[in-house]
Amino acid sequence: MELTICTYCDTVHRRPPVSRGSAARCRTCEASLYHADSDLGAMLAVTITAAIAFVVANAFPLITLTASGRQTAATLWSSIAASYNHELPVVAITLAVTLIVAPLVELLMLLWVLVPLAAGVRPPAFALVMRAMHALRPWRMVPVFLLGLAVAVVKLTGLAATVPGWGMFGVAVMTIAFASLASFDREVLWRRAEELRR
Amino acid sequence: MMRGAELGLVACTTCELVMKAGNAAVGTCPRCGEPLRPRKRNANARAWAFLIAAAALYIPANALPIMETEQFPTYRTDTIMSGVAFLWTEGSWSLAAVVFTASVLVPMLKLGALGLLLVTSRKGSTWRQRGRTQLYRVLEAVGHWSMLDVFVVALLSAVVQLGRFARVEPGLAVIPFAGVVVLTMLASASFDPRTIWDPHD
Repeated sequence: MELTICTYCDTVHRRPPVSRGSAARCRTCEASLYHADSDLGAMLAVTITAAIAFVVANAFPLITLTASGRQTAATLWSSIAASYNHELPVVAITLAVTLIVAPLVELLMLLWVLVPLAAGVRPPAFALVMRAMHALRPWRMVPVFLLGLAVAVVKLTGLAATVPGWGMFGVAVMTIAFASLASFDREVLWRRAEELRR
Repeated sequence: MMRGAELGLVACTTCELVMKAGNAAVGTCPRCGEPLRPRKRNANARAWAFLIAAAALYIPANALPIMETEQFPTYRTDTIMSGVAFLWTEGSWSLAAVVFTASVLVPMLKLGALGLLLVTSRKGSTWRQRGRTQLYRVLEAVGHWSMLDVFVVALLSAVVQLGRFARVEPGLAVIPFAGVVVLTMLASASFDPRTIWDPHD
């Protein structure tokens, strides 16, 4: 009999499958326990979408400002550089880790895991990569940055002509893609990898 | 409802594999290699340490200026609260509410709520166990949203560099403020919500 234990309250449950789009909840504390078995192909598609959005978010301006004939633009990298140049390296590091390093490393690790699994090969260093992904996840703050962009745009409208750039679109798509990735159950990946070990 | 502790079962906190608690003596999860423990190690002591450090940084985070705005011919220096008050008096109520929630309410809620969880779980209280577990999940979910102001200040200081016409410079408070966010995240990650349900003798 398959069992699952709620990580929030230690209640032991049987693990019947749930239908797609729904989640099993703990009867004691109502925490979400697990989702329907993930479709690896769909997960890979969302990961690739997130990766493209990541490139767009990094390559294009987030906000462009025009005032009295002068134009300035903020990109992800120029925001980090601005913090660094204002002698706030701690802030520059925070931005770099939460907005570039954590999402990029997670996407690379997802591809590292999903591509071989979809092809029927156990990925090298599978367990290590899965653990690293788990540890990294709380430090990715893309949705918070999207709200920050929205707040900045509203604050700037009184000052000068403000135009949201393609980079902001990339951040928005990344936010949606990461939210979607969170609803894929990771247990399937573990099982698939265990099967391939034999 | 039976609990893992009663049935002699443990779940790996990383990959959620369920196994007999006897394996916990071996030290690592056979599936993912993460160290196995029935409960997080020194959970309360670590959570308290991070929480006290966060509370200490909360003072300079609010007392120091977070942003300097030069918009000819005016110049102003804002702390977090004066920035919210300024937005409010300017009539940007919804924006003031968003910034107030993320920068003032969430950090205070986190410090207070985690303190409450730590005190009640130490006493082995059976008061509203489900509600306390849900409170912990809220803490986990909202934890990083306080980084909002740090991002806004970084963005504004990057884009508003129009010479004498308009300029935004980040203030020193962004450092302790980012510190508060990181430390409260570490504090809530150190706490073990399963101790809310553990019987106390």
